Amino acid sequence: MKRLTLRLGLLLVGFNLAVGLLTFFWTPHDPGAMIGGRLSPPSWTHWAGTDRLGRDFLSQVMVGARIALLVGAGATLLGGAVGISLGVLAAYARRGLDDAFAAALDILIAFPTLLLAMLVVAASETASLGTAILAIGLAMSAIIARLARILTKRVLAQDYVTAARCSGLSWARLTRTHVLPNILPTLAVALAAQFGLAVIAEASLSYLGLGAPPPNASWGTLLQQAQSTVHRAPIGVILPGLALVSLVLGINFLADGLRDLLDPEREGAE
Amino acid sequence: MTRYLLRRSFVLALSLIAAGLALFVLLRLLPGDPAAALLGVGATEAQIAAARAQIGSDLPIPAQFARFMTDLARFDLGESFVTQAPVLPEIGRRLQVTLPLTLAAFLLAILVATPLGILAALWAGDWRGTLLSGFSQLGLAVPVFWIGILLVWVLAVNLRLLPASGFPMRGWEDPAGSFRALILPVLTIALVMSASLMRYVRSAALDVLGSDYLRNARALGASLPEAIRRHALRNGALPVISVLGIELATTLLGAVVVERVFALPGLGSMLLLAIQQRDYPSVQGVLLVSTLMVLLIGFAADVLQRLIDPRLRERGRRPGE
Amino acid sequence: MTSPLAPRRLSVSRRALLGGMAGSVLLRVGLSSAQAQSADPAADPDAVIRIGSLYEPQNLDNAAGAGQGVSEAFNDNVYEGLFRLTDAGSVEPVLAESHEVSEDGLTHLFTLRPGVRFHSGGALTSADVKHSIERVTAEASRSSRKRSLSTIAAIETPDELTVKITLSRRSISLPYNLSYVWIVNHEAKDLTSTADGTGPYRLADWRRGSALALDLFADYWGERPANGGAVFHYFTEAAALDNALLTDAVDLVSSVQSPDALAQFEGDPRFTIAEGLSTTKQLLAWNDRIAPFDDVRVRSALAKAVDKDRLRQAIWGDRGIVLGSFTPPTDPWFVDLTAVNAHDPEGARALLAEAGHAEGLRFTIDTPNYDPHPITAEFLKAEYAKVGVTVDINLITANEWYTKIYQQKNFQATLQEHVNHRDIVFYGDPDFYWGYDDPEVIRLIADAEASATEEEQTEKLRQANILIAEGAATNWFYLNPQIVVSKVGVSGYPVNGLNAQFFLRGVAKA
Repeated sequence: MKRLTLRLGLLLVGFNLAVGLLTFFWTPHDPGAMIGGRLSPPSWTHWAGTDRLGRDFLSQVMVGARIALLVGAGATLLGGAVGISLGVLAAYARRGLDDAFAAALDILIAFPTLLLAMLVVAASETASLGTAILAIGLAMSAIIARLARILTKRVLAQDYVTAARCSGLSWARLTRTHVLPNILPTLAVALAAQFGLAVIAEASLSYLGLGAPPPNASWGTLLQQAQSTVHRAPIGVILPGLALVSLVLGINFLADGLRDLLDPEREGAE
Repeated sequence: MTRYLLRRSFVLALSLIAAGLALFVLLRLLPGDPAAALLGVGATEAQIAAARAQIGSDLPIPAQFARFMTDLARFDLGESFVTQAPVLPEIGRRLQVTLPLTLAAFLLAILVATPLGILAALWAGDWRGTLLSGFSQLGLAVPVFWIGILLVWVLAVNLRLLPASGFPMRGWEDPAGSFRALILPVLTIALVMSASLMRYVRSAALDVLGSDYLRNARALGASLPEAIRRHALRNGALPVISVLGIELATTLLGAVVVERVFALPGLGSMLLLAIQQRDYPSVQGVLLVSTLMVLLIGFAADVLQRLIDPRLRERGRRPGE
Repeated sequence: MTSPLAPRRLSVSRRALLGGMAGSVLLRVGLSSAQAQSADPAADPDAVIRIGSLYEPQNLDNAAGAGQGVSEAFNDNVYEGLFRLTDAGSVEPVLAESHEVSEDGLTHLFTLRPGVRFHSGGALTSADVKHSIERVTAEASRSSRKRSLSTIAAIETPDELTVKITLSRRSISLPYNLSYVWIVNHEAKDLTSTADGTGPYRLADWRRGSALALDLFADYWGERPANGGAVFHYFTEAAALDNALLTDAVDLVSSVQSPDALAQFEGDPRFTIAEGLSTTKQLLAWNDRIAPFDDVRVRSALAKAVDKDRLRQAIWGDRGIVLGSFTPPTDPWFVDLTAVNAHDPEGARALLAEAGHAEGLRFTIDTPNYDPHPITAEFLKAEYAKVGVTVDINLITANEWYTKIYQQKNFQATLQEHVNHRDIVFYGDPDFYWGYDDPEVIRLIADAEASATEEEQTEKLRQANILIAEGAATNWFYLNPQIVVSKVGVSGYPVNGLNAQFFLRGVAKA
C-alpha cells in the first residue's frame, strides 16, 4: 500500500518530467506555429485540436509541463534554501529575537502563498518566469522557516546536543553534524508537499494574469484563455486541468510515500 | 484564564503594529510614483507636486510613517486614487460578499470533512478508507479555479441550474438572489477545502482511536459510537482547531481566485483590481483589514483551544513549541 | 477570451475630433438608431432594463478620467449635451434650440431649450453651460477632450438662455466636440460619485465592482423613455458576462467580445444578435520618433509581414473588417487602402534588407494584459519571425500603458484598441504618443479643421488618410464588429455604440 503510493507518485511525476524534457527535442507540432484552423476539434493531425490562432493544443499543453516543473522546482529550491537558513538561525537566536521571529512567521503563514505571491509580482516592474519563481519561493520560505525553526529547537533540546554544545562545539559544526542530518528528512517531506502547492500557485497566478508573459503558455494561462471558448472547444479547459492535477497528485503521492519511508510510525499523519 | 487573555491581547496589539509597519515598508517597495498614479495621463509637473503634497509622499519617510499610523489609529484608511471614494466603506461592502462566502464554505467543509474524516480513520486499511483518502488526495491536487470553471460549465451553462456569476445589484436586500449567486462559489471552495480538512480530521481521529483512554472507555463497556462521541471528538478537536484557524484565514484571503471565476464583487477582486490599477490606498486598506481578520482568527483559535483543553490552561506555551 | 483585470478598453484620448454638424454621414446600419425605433407595442413601459457590460466606470466624472464606462452609462442618459452624436454618426441638437454662426466662423451663438430642469430641481441656465464647458477645458481637467476645445477663446452669457462662444480660429467640428461635453448643474459637487444632469434618467445607486442603477427622472423635459429604468451590471470576465445573459441575470450584453461566446447564442430562439459597426480599431503603434521605426521602409516591411486577415479570423472568426488605415468605413473620408502594404513576406524581407536590416531586427511590443492583446502579440511574434524579426512581448496593465506609453512615450511598439470616432486627427499631432510627424499630414489636418464646408474638410482628410497609409504610420489590423446580444423581446437599443455610448431611452422590454 505504502509502496503503491510512492510508485504511483513516481510514475505521475516521472511522466510529467519526461514530457517536459521531451518538449525540448520534440513536440507533435511547433507549439508556436499557426498551422491549423481556428479552434478545430481533435483530429489525427491535432490530437487535442487547435487554439484560436490555429496552434496545436497538445504541443502547448506539453510545453506547459516544462513551465510547471521549472517554476515549481525553482520556487521550492528558493523557498527551501531561504526558509531553512532563516529557521535554523532563528532557533539559535536569543529568546526575545526568536519569539519575535516566530510571531512574524505565524502572521505570514496565515496569508496564503498566492496572496503573498501577488504582492511580489505587483512589486516587480515586469512579470517573467523569474518573478513567479521568486514570488512563490519567498512566500513558501515562511512556511519552511517556521518548520525548520521548530525542528531545530527540538534537536537542540536533546541531551546529547546540549552536551556537545557544552563541550565547545562551534555552532556551524553543530549545525552540520547534528542539526541538519536530523531535520532534513522531515523538511524534505514538507518541501515535497510545498512543491505541489507551488505548481498550483503558479497556475493560479497565471490564471489571474499575473504569471509569466507569452509565449510561456502556463497551464493556468491556457485555462484562462480556454474558459470563454469552453462551449466550442471544451477540451481546452479539460486537458490542461487534467495535466495539472496529474502532476500535483503525483508530487503529493511522492511526498506521502517519502514520509512513510522516512517515518513509518506516523502513517497518514499530517 | 484572564491573565492569559490579557497576555494574548497584548500580543495581538503588538502584532497589529508590526503588521502596519510591514505593510508600510512593503507598499513603499511597489514601483511607480503614487502621485503620478493618482493623476494619470497628462499631468503636469506642478500637478504632480501638488498631488505629492496632498497625499504626503513628499514628506520624509519617518514623518510618513507617523502619519500613516495616526490615520490608522483613527480608522482612516484614506481615499482611493481611482474612485476618490473612502476605502473603508468600500471594504465593508466587499466583505458582505466575501464573509458569507467564506463562512458558508467553511461550515459546509467542516460538516462534510468531519464525518468523512472519522469514517476514513475507522475504515483505515480497507477499500472504503482508501476511496475516501483518494478523494481527499484528489481534492488537494485540484486547483480551486479549475473546479469553478468546470462547475460553471456543467451546472450553470449546460444544465442552466444556477447563475454562473455575478452578485445581485441590491446585495443582501435581495436575499434569494444573493443566496443563489453564492451557491456555486461556496460549493467550489467547500469541495477543495473539505478535502484538505479531511486529512487533518482523519489523522487526528487515528491518533485518538489508537489512544489509551478510548481503549479504556471501550473496555468499560461503552459502544464505539458512544466512546467517539464522549472522548474522541473532544480530544481530536484540539489539533484540528489550530489547523482550522489557518484554513479559515487562507480561505478568506484565497477567495480572490474564486471571486474572479464567478465575478463576485468581494474583497479579493477589490485587491486584484487595486493592484492592477496601482491604487495604493485600496491595496493598503484591503491588506490591513485582512491582516486584522487573520490575527483575530488566530486569537480566537488559541482561546478556543484553551477553553477546550484543561491541560493547556496550566501550561505556559502553545503546543508544538 | 477573458479580458483580464482592469479590462478597460482604452478610449484613447478623445482629442481633437472632426466632423461638425456633418448631417452628411447618416449611416443606417442594422437596426438604425435607438431614437428612430418605435417600441414594441407589447413592451412593458415600467420594465427595468438590465445591461451586462465589461466597462465599469473608474468614477462618475468624465472630466476626472472615468473611462469609457461612464460614457456608456451616462451619455444622453443621465447627462445631455448641447448636441448629441447619434448612433448613426450624425450630430443633432439636444439642449441647444438654435445655433448661429458668424460669417468668419469665429462667433457661435447658442439658444438653450427653455423649461429644462436638473435632477436636483434647478432650471438649466447659460451659467450651467459655461461652467460645464469650462470644467472640461480647465487646467485640472483630466478630460481628454480638453485639447479639442482649446480653440475656445471666451464664453459669455448675455442672458439666462443664451451662450456666446468666441473662437480663436475657425473650428468646423465645434458642435461635434460639444456633443462630448456633459451639461452639469454648476452647483453640483462631488461629481465623481454623484450625478446631476438633465437627462431622462437619474443615478439611483452605484455599487462599485458590481452594478450601477438608473431610474426615471419624473421632470424630464422630453419624451418619457420606453422603459422604467436601467441597471448596468459590471463584469471583469467576458465569459462571466456571457454566462450572465445565458442564465437570465441580464437582458442584454452591450458588446460581445469574442465570436466563440456568440456560438452559445446563435441558433438559440431565446436570443437576438444585432451586429453593427464599431469604431474600435486594433493596431500596433510604432514609436515613430525612434530608430528603426523612423524609417518608412522598416514600417512598410513590418506592415507587409503580417497576414491581417488571418489575425482577424483568429480573433473574430467570420466577423470584423481588415483595415488599410486608421479610418473605418463609417468615416466620411474613408478610402479602401488595404492594398497598400498588403501581406507580402518576400517584399517585407527585401525592404528590410534595403533598410539595412538584412540580418534581422529585434524589438519589444508593450502589450496590454487583457484580451485580445496577448494572443495578438503571440500571433505577431510568429509572423515577424518569418521575416527574420524577433519580438519580445512585455505585458503591462492598462494603468502602466497610460503612464509608460501615453504619457512618457517610452516604448518601441505597442498594441492598442482605439475606440474613438473620427480620430484620424491624432496623426496631426506630433506630440501624440506614437509621434508621427509628417508636415504634409499635419497641414492637411489643421486645414481641414478650419474648412468652411464639409466637402472641403472631407477632401483634405481623405488626402491625409492616403498619406498616412502610404507612410505606414502605424500597423492597423482590423475593425471590431459591434455585437449586441439580447433576450428576445428586448428592442430599440443602439447597435453601433459609437464612442462607447449606449442610449437607453428607446430600449423596450416585453
